[in-house]
Amino acid sequence: MAEENHRILLEVQEMTRRFPGVLALNNVDFDVRAGEVHALVGENGAGKSTMINILAGVLQPSGGKMLLDGNPVVFHNPADTQKAGISVIFQEFNLVPHLSVAENIFINREPTRSGMIDWQKMNLLSAEALKRLEIDIDPRVPVSSLSVAQQQLVEIARALAFDARVIVMDEPTAALSEREVDRLLEIVRSMAKENVGVIYVSHKLEEVFRVADRITILRDGAHILTDKASNLNEEKVIYAMVGRALVHGKCPDRPIGEVVLSVKNLDVEDSVRNVSFELRTGEVLGLAGLMGSGANEVVEALFGLRKAHADEIVLQGKALAIDNPRNAIHSRLGYVPNDRKKAGLLPDLSVKQNISIGILERLRKLFWIDGSREEGSAETYRGKLNVRCSSLNQRISNLSGGNQQKVMLARSLAEDCKVMLLAEPTRGVDVGAKAEIYSLIDILVDSGMAVLLQSSELPEIIRLSNRVMVFSSGQSRGELAGEELTQESVMALATRV
Amino acid sequence: MENTLKKIWKSYSIGVVVVVVGIILSLLSPRFLSIGNLLNVMTNASLVAILGLGMTLAIASGNFDLSVGSTAAFAGCISFSLVPVIGVPASIAAGLAAGALVGLINGLIITELRVPAFIATLGMLTIVRGAALIYTDGKDLYLFGQTGYKVLSGEYLFGIPTPILLAVGIALLLGFIVSQTRFGRHILAIGSNPSAAQRSGIPTNRVLWAIFSIVGATAALSGMIISSQVLTANGRLATGLELSAIAVVVLGGTALSGGQATMIGTMLGALLISMVNNGLNLLNVPIFYQELTVGVLMLGALAVNISQGFDVRRLFRRQA
Repeated sequence: MAEENHRILLEVQEMTRRFPGVLALNNVDFDVRAGEVHALVGENGAGKSTMINILAGVLQPSGGKMLLDGNPVVFHNPADTQKAGISVIFQEFNLVPHLSVAENIFINREPTRSGMIDWQKMNLLSAEALKRLEIDIDPRVPVSSLSVAQQQLVEIARALAFDARVIVMDEPTAALSEREVDRLLEIVRSMAKENVGVIYVSHKLEEVFRVADRITILRDGAHILTDKASNLNEEKVIYAMVGRALVHGKCPDRPIGEVVLSVKNLDVEDSVRNVSFELRTGEVLGLAGLMGSGANEVVEALFGLRKAHADEIVLQGKALAIDNPRNAIHSRLGYVPNDRKKAGLLPDLSVKQNISIGILERLRKLFWIDGSREEGSAETYRGKLNVRCSSLNQRISNLSGGNQQKVMLARSLAEDCKVMLLAEPTRGVDVGAKAEIYSLIDILVDSGMAVLLQSSELPEIIRLSNRVMVFSSGQSRGELAGEELTQESVMALATRV
Repeated sequence: MENTLKKIWKSYSIGVVVVVVGIILSLLSPRFLSIGNLLNVMTNASLVAILGLGMTLAIASGNFDLSVGSTAAFAGCISFSLVPVIGVPASIAAGLAAGALVGLINGLIITELRVPAFIATLGMLTIVRGAALIYTDGKDLYLFGQTGYKVLSGEYLFGIPTPILLAVGIALLLGFIVSQTRFGRHILAIGSNPSAAQRSGIPTNRVLWAIFSIVGATAALSGMIISSQVLTANGRLATGLELSAIAVVVLGGTALSGGQATMIGTMLGALLISMVNNGLNLLNVPIFYQELTVGVLMLGALAVNISQGFDVRRLFRRQA
């Protein structure tokens, strides 16, 4: 743990950044010492990204100053930041996929011998850098052949090979499985031991408490508090982040009805074997499992997005063909994808148009769309789901993650679905919106909806599900409900091979 | 305040540019503002505008069609060759059908062979040009005594030449389709995010076939108007017109990244290019400079487009 007398490497004073109409950072003070992990925590929109971008030299502050080793510095561009010994690892990696690991680590400063790249030396140095982190990757393989987790590690190795003294990590575990997260956190701790100052940006509090020495919380661009992690706990942090407490626990009692969806012996190409289950109205069936376990593949297959075969799939008494999404929607199956940006949002379209895209046929008048009916229907769902937007004609890309996610739910509801497939329904959503989405799901289920929920967040799946099927290596390893349903019991099944 | 100004500039910049260029040209050359010259400018603008209006749909869906110039020539030849057999109206319909067919083939190559639109239509650019040259044996086709074909270019209605009326009519029709119909919404959805569009149940393949068929038909119409102006059709007509078509769309403010479309913008873009060319003519600037100017205008508009977030690599990506 960093002692109070450890040297301050980087200090930010009264940092302010204005955007048109928004004060993204308002007089924020922040510092990182040699040998500590300092977590920067806040909801989406709290100002974390703005801070990172200023540190990275991507954005210029509107006011305030930065001190490096006590001397004022200004970063006009990312190259300045790098020269100062600060390395920023963004969520979207800066790796060149077709080049080798070593080439990526030494990009732009390849060791040379008589004007040519000294491959031997480069591979050797890379191997050393990787070994320092106890990473077992061959430096000669192309980055594109690595898993997301491994790519993340290559980014870290590169930062260390640059002799970075401050490393900024932006949501580094967003795409990692539980086991990979453990490994990453160990590495972050070991970097701190080498006297690097780590700024760890995340909103996954469990991780933050495992890795951080100090925690700083931002809310609405303002600095709320900075304290030693040992003086804080999750509740205190959440309270500071959202200004109120969050409910945890299990799902409420629900009256369960008839079977609406039954699946017999589902096989999904290359991922899932022999899965059967039944889903009843008023029920949430959780599909738990680590990344690649097959849980998400089951959901995608049912919506017709994967090559799959089943002995029988019956939805509301009718056989369901799972060959394309159109069929699924017509059979009253709704779907909210796990990656909203990639597979859900129509970013150039308005909130209204995003809600109504699946029901245009119903809104038809002669051969055009009945504008007032579209408006009315969108308004209904906006109200039901409490989507906060300045108008229905606002572009959806200007909404916060939580509100975008509510629009995704609204789209499926508008399609009048009877069974909803939810994949990672609160990914990239801030804590406040998360609680709101949970209670929305409760309300939907109360009104007779059946939900198939895939989530990699254990507290979430336990909070929402009546029953949980746990997957690993493409198979269902068992079902948990009631008293048996705990984070520990789910993990035990999920890690069974 | 600053924001409002920016917004206004963003939506009306092309209109402002057209007015400013118009004022400059009228100051430089007194002939610019004569009725005859203005009609001439607008007629020439219409030819590119008709192509550009179809192209706007393709671009709004996140695609491109580089084969329109060749399709224009091809349709002109088909249509001309059929006039003696089936008469003028039917042969014009046949030309449109030929264009739509070429477009449909483009669409099928993109969806069934999964070739990116950029590459698919680049291939079709040469294939269709070749087909037109083979069909005509490289010769010119004339219409002796069939002046009825002039209906596409020579006629006036209320003193307005038909190409202008056609362009305005198509702009209104396609503008309505894009903003008010299900098909239009599907186009924008596909352009905005193809995989999300597919997951919302949109029949993405069928929509693309329709888009490219319309692009083909507008290209054919434009080709037949050009042929009718000179009462000649051949396989070399309308070479390079695809770039002008894309230029007017981009100038008009339709984002190359897809997801939105402005037909009025495309019309004004066509007007701007036509005005500039006309101005250079009036000022006795050699014709080669006109080519250069169109290129510069297009690059300028592209640069603006890219600064607003268009990713060039998207052109080479397949449809989801």
